[in-house]
Amino acid sequence: MLLSALALCLSAAAQQSAPAVAQRLQSYDLSREVFLVGAVVKFDPASVTPPIGAHVLLQTPSGLVDVHLGNAQLLKANHFELNPGDNVRIVGESLASGDITIFAARIVQKGVQAVVVRNNKGFLVTSTSTMSQDQKDALRGVR
Amino acid sequence: MKRFLLLLASAAALWTAACNGGGGTAVPPPPPPGPFGLNSLNGTYSFVTNGEVFTGTVVTPLARVGSFTANGNGGITGGVEDVNSAGAASLAIPITGGSYTVTGDGRGTLTLNLNSPSGATSVNFGIVLTSNSDGLMIDETSTNTQASTGSGNFVLQTGGPFTVASAAGPYVFDFSGLDDTGAPDSIVGEFNASGGVITAGVQDENDNGNIPATPTPVSFTGVLAADSLDPNGAADLSTFGRGVASLNGINYVFYLVGGNRIRFLSTSGGEMLAGDAVAQNNTIPANTAALNTSFVFIVSGASGNGGVTRIGRFTANGGSVTNVILDTNNGGVFHLTGGSGGGGAVTAASITLDAVNPGRGVVTFKDPSLGVPFTFVFYLSSASSAVIQDVSQGNQGATDVADGSLAAQTGGPFSSSNISGTYALNWSGLSLQNGAEDEEDFVAQAKISSLSLTGAGDIFQFQNGVIPDIVVGGTITAGGDGTGSGGQRNTMSVNLTKNGSSTVNFVVYVANPGLAFFANNQGTTRVVAGILKLQQ
Repeated sequence: MLLSALALCLSAAAQQSAPAVAQRLQSYDLSREVFLVGAVVKFDPASVTPPIGAHVLLQTPSGLVDVHLGNAQLLKANHFELNPGDNVRIVGESLASGDITIFAARIVQKGVQAVVVRNNKGFLVTSTSTMSQDQKDALRGVR
Repeated sequence: MKRFLLLLASAAALWTAACNGGGGTAVPPPPPPGPFGLNSLNGTYSFVTNGEVFTGTVVTPLARVGSFTANGNGGITGGVEDVNSAGAASLAIPITGGSYTVTGDGRGTLTLNLNSPSGATSVNFGIVLTSNSDGLMIDETSTNTQASTGSGNFVLQTGGPFTVASAAGPYVFDFSGLDDTGAPDSIVGEFNASGGVITAGVQDENDNGNIPATPTPVSFTGVLAADSLDPNGAADLSTFGRGVASLNGINYVFYLVGGNRIRFLSTSGGEMLAGDAVAQNNTIPANTAALNTSFVFIVSGASGNGGVTRIGRFTANGGSVTNVILDTNNGGVFHLTGGSGGGGAVTAASITLDAVNPGRGVVTFKDPSLGVPFTFVFYLSSASSAVIQDVSQGNQGATDVADGSLAAQTGGPFSSSNISGTYALNWSGLSLQNGAEDEEDFVAQAKISSLSLTGAGDIFQFQNGVIPDIVVGGTITAGGDGTGSGGQRNTMSVNLTKNGSSTVNFVVYVANPGLAFFANNQGTTRVVAGILKLQQ
């Protein structure tokens, strides 16, 4: 619990300031991962706030955190909905991207349902990534 | 990010070798007179598109490659295509007929009738001819059973009837797409072909960000053969250049465009990889002392933000690298490296060429405002063109998976006097559309005069469908001499009008008056990149 609270503070703090030069242009690193716990303030499946894609604004004990969830179609394909007031747990990390820092989610969990939105290297998961072999086989015949 | 950005750059490389908002309804003007007509499309053409497909249940990545024969009078008389959707291949689908239109400006439509395993159907494309021998295309298929889109091109096949021996000599290649887990993958390299035997293959792969600490090529061998499982295998090879290949343990179908180009599409193992191999000629410099050229380059692909484009230029002089400018769009996060207004002049810039792998090299430079240097590996197919892959090393692997093309910059300074004429343009990538992030493909023709664009095109936004015959306007600014010596770069603003209007702003890097690469450098609702090619 203490660790999680600390992690939360660290990640929230990372949102507040510009990254050090040495951290910019970085790749996703599982060892840096932390998790956020909070309540959904706003979910936007197609936010004009960069990076492009779905964002959720999360109220955490340390403040508001804007979290990038990737492509909303993946959430939709998994019948995963986010509504204001939902309590969620997000695994991810602050990731430098050029001149800004984002909180990049890798796993988003609500209740017993969790969806992996980034792979272990930080690249966004697509519906293809989660298809079973049967589902892939069913695509034969596409023309 | 998605494979279509990867593949757009690949297509662009090998050539050198949504509307919203207000505004009134624009009526497209009648097609302007021009040199093109039905007889401009006459012969057998190999085509490729990369995008995605919706089959009624799920949206998945899609790559198609094939060959069709146009009769010069609006009819398609035959052909064959292969499709890979998220690693599931549908092979040797006969093209039984079809039709096409071409107007004076080179724009048109193409319909291919297919005898697919699930029954007779057809696929539709919007096309723009860049000459009687080639053109740009987007998939515009939207039926009650399938919707698909994607950007690509078609090239007249010459040198037939084909055999596996039609592929001869050294080639460089760029394959990109998805690995067997659906993660982004890019492979660039070179090989030698002789009598269907592939030797001296070397490649650099960036699979899901997994790259060596320093760029190190891996050796491989392979084969090219007729497809023994295709009932028409012998005829398909002879007529359409279609065969099967194994390269470094991955199976592909290939189409011989001619001796100078071979198109590949993976068919097994769950990967979805597609790209071209182009012949490497004997003009490639043997060492950096002979490398005294300015280059423009573009890579696109996947990043942690979803999609990334990096477009720029540099001057190589011996082993030194100067006048570096690089524009990055990382999922709507923009960053300028070098140039006026950038994060300062780059440092530690250098370029090397391999002693043992002809044409393979590495270019690197450091943006003082970023933590790690940019590093790219390239394979020259000639002194003036190459395929290029981003291998910038982060703390836990590559910062992204992206590849594309490198082209020598010639014919400058660029101004209204030489950026003039009729051009085909195509862009592809991601945009926000109808409350979702999805693929966008655009193909158009425009006349450029006094650096103003006027023309028409089609756009396919996967959430909104195809919008044909959009009125295209816009302007180009030629920043200084366009080579970056003064820190300036060129820009292009494209206005799209039909039942509303919108403007997309790009940065443009001109390779020569007949070819330019561009990527949007404003707006957080798009990550797109494309090419501008003079019509011949």
